[in-house]
Amino acid sequence: MKKTVQGIATIGVTFAVALAMTACSSKPKSSANSSSSTTPNSSSPASTAPSSAPSSSSAPVTSPSAASTGSAKLCMVLDTGGVDDRSFNQSSWQGLQDANKANPNIQISYVASNSQNDYTPNLNAEVSKGCDSVIAVGGLMADAVKSVAAANPNQQFAEIDSPSAGPNDYGIQFNTAQGGFLGGYLAASMTKTGKVATYGGLNIPPVTIYMDGFWEGVQYFNQQKGKSVQVLGWDEKNQKGGTFAQSFTDQNKGRSITQSFISQGADIIFPVAGGTGLGSGAAAQASGGKVSVIWVDTDGCESAQQYCSVFLSSVVKGLASSVTTYANAVASGQKLGGQSYIGTLANNGTGLAPFHDFDSKVPANVKSELDQIKSDIESGKISITSPSQPK
Amino acid sequence: MSAVQTEELVEVHEVVDVAASKKARLISGSVLVVVGLLCLLGFGLGSHAGYEARFQLSQPGARIRVPALVLPARITSIVLGVIVVLLGLWRITRGGSRRAMHWVVGASIVAVVVSFLCWSLTGTRGTSLDLLGLLQQTIFLAVPLILGALAGVLCERSGVINVAIEGQMLAGAFAGALIGTVAHNAGAGILAALIAGGLIGALLAVFAIRYLVNQVVLGVVINVLVLGLTGYVYDALMARDQNTYNTPPGLHAISIPGLSDIPILGPLLFQQNAIVYAMYVLIIAIDLALFRSRWGLRTRAVGEHPKAADTVGIKVRRTRFVNVIVGGLVAGLGGASLTIGSALPFGKGMTNGKGFIALAAVIFGRWSPRGAVGAALLFGFADALQNVLSFIGTPVAIPSQFLAMLPYLATILAVAGLVGRVRAPAADGEPYVGR
Repeated sequence: MKKTVQGIATIGVTFAVALAMTACSSKPKSSANSSSSTTPNSSSPASTAPSSAPSSSSAPVTSPSAASTGSAKLCMVLDTGGVDDRSFNQSSWQGLQDANKANPNIQISYVASNSQNDYTPNLNAEVSKGCDSVIAVGGLMADAVKSVAAANPNQQFAEIDSPSAGPNDYGIQFNTAQGGFLGGYLAASMTKTGKVATYGGLNIPPVTIYMDGFWEGVQYFNQQKGKSVQVLGWDEKNQKGGTFAQSFTDQNKGRSITQSFISQGADIIFPVAGGTGLGSGAAAQASGGKVSVIWVDTDGCESAQQYCSVFLSSVVKGLASSVTTYANAVASGQKLGGQSYIGTLANNGTGLAPFHDFDSKVPANVKSELDQIKSDIESGKISITSPSQPK
Repeated sequence: MSAVQTEELVEVHEVVDVAASKKARLISGSVLVVVGLLCLLGFGLGSHAGYEARFQLSQPGARIRVPALVLPARITSIVLGVIVVLLGLWRITRGGSRRAMHWVVGASIVAVVVSFLCWSLTGTRGTSLDLLGLLQQTIFLAVPLILGALAGVLCERSGVINVAIEGQMLAGAFAGALIGTVAHNAGAGILAALIAGGLIGALLAVFAIRYLVNQVVLGVVINVLVLGLTGYVYDALMARDQNTYNTPPGLHAISIPGLSDIPILGPLLFQQNAIVYAMYVLIIAIDLALFRSRWGLRTRAVGEHPKAADTVGIKVRRTRFVNVIVGGLVAGLGGASLTIGSALPFGKGMTNGKGFIALAAVIFGRWSPRGAVGAALLFGFADALQNVLSFIGTPVAIPSQFLAMLPYLATILAVAGLVGRVRAPAADGEPYVGR
């Protein structure tokens, strides 16, 4: 009996130790990887501009300077998931790379977080490097940024997916419920089974805001057309429920969730789960054309090319361009702390990506309805009720 | 239930088994009674009267249609709850052997799950659950766990603790994706995954058996090493050009003529890819070999009492070497199922703790291949069920975080409450230094 208890205890301790060690062990490796010549995915340009968007300025800053002449040292702290997550980390880093390409005097570097315990140490390490601004990626880092920014009042910060947390912190937020709304309407228009589905990585506002928008878009379609398309995996009225992979990296879980949706009858899937969503691409590909996917954050046909044939479209978030604009503003000597930028449909901060392979399959009337909805959202005629919207 | 009863009669004649102690009977019996009452009150009386629970047993458009199973939800839940309570009472009063207890545990788990499913389908009238799809997902999620657990059984039966299953699987997933993509050949990828897993197994063997390093520490270190190594190569090579280095070819499902036409079991078991078929063969082969072959006898002898084995001329270290490396190969195949088996690119740390769950399955399954497979299937089922429950619309909305606990809750309950005492191979983790 004693031996058994000992054995189980050993396993438990081992598991904990293993997790702890994996969490901190590989950190030095990724933080070393910080030269500007490192281009994790040079094949994907940051052209996330929505196709149907009219030409409007997306500048979050009052005095936009396309290619600034100044110099700056910008340091980025990435969230878990890695620089190559084909999602928000990758786009944020892409934004800095674009700024560096246009103006080599902008020095850039990043450090990856392997777990939430890395946030504060990483932020402090970047502060001590003497950066002109430290850019934190991801809303989960909000508390860490708030305390580090308060402790270093002379250091400029910027935080993606969170409002400004102090006079030296610039908030970069996106009302992606608007883009998600278009995605939901598109899915509802295109489904053949009358069921569409969405799932998230974690139940946190930057994720669920997409799902809220998607859900509302489907409800709007039902109301306009007198149909009853069902959304599996999320209900805006039940913010605690919903389907979540509990991971942004577990592709097999994403595949399994998607298969479950398919077997319950859904034929259009909207994963809001970073790399986990690749599993949806694989599941849709295996379905032989019956199931399609709406990708998230970036244009899937550029960031996850192997699944382009199943991507109906993507709900994009203008991360890269807003980071580039911010970098240029810092280089030209602006201190933007205390302000916040909110990306919307109107300023191209969010929207739908091109349909790519599906361009011929999406009926013209759906396209024009989407354009109409877009301008209705911009004008406020359609109001979005998601509780996660940035204010 | 009658099937279980007759099975017990057979067991009584066949097995000379120690009767469980009074205390153990009381504990496990009361657990069952409590669980049964919860079933009865929570799922039985908690579900809407008059609602039906529909379980679909074939997918729309399938060649063979099986009519859906329709049960009156409330009555079914109540009856199953009562059965579990009775089983618990029987356990307390009559006791029964340990073998009989296995059947009791198995029957109770099935009863609780079915009554839970009946309850969960009464949220909105007319909801139906694709039971076949749920079971297919169970297998999909259990394949890496089963292969990892078999690897663990192979190592630990010969007396070497294998905490490095996670690392072996990760190495297999990585090598499979890389070589499979570069060679444009799934077979080459699987071969590479086997070799990579085997190499990590060899590393474990050399340090554990030749250099007598503490096996638990060694396993943890190997896991970290593999995580770092694959992460580095991923960053340096694969992430830069995903199309050239990280788009592994997937395996196609192969339908076995004849067998795949069996209702329910056909689409569940015999429309799978090559790795799953290899897994079936491995399960049977390892189970037979371990208990029916000379190699198996030697392995168990070396794991239980290496000195005695040595005195009768069994080469202890060589037996362990072979077992640990073969275990590595099997875990490598488990890794391949994550990338090539499901046509997914490699991602850093993509095993996500599956190696540790597999290790838990080894213990839960009492170091036997059959038990480990059963445990892995249970974990897979809990995981698959969690997916479905999150969108099926249960009568009481279950928070997503709570659902995420389900597989782990199942582990704790199963290991602590029902399986009871488990005994590892006596020499597990003890290096043998010779006479």
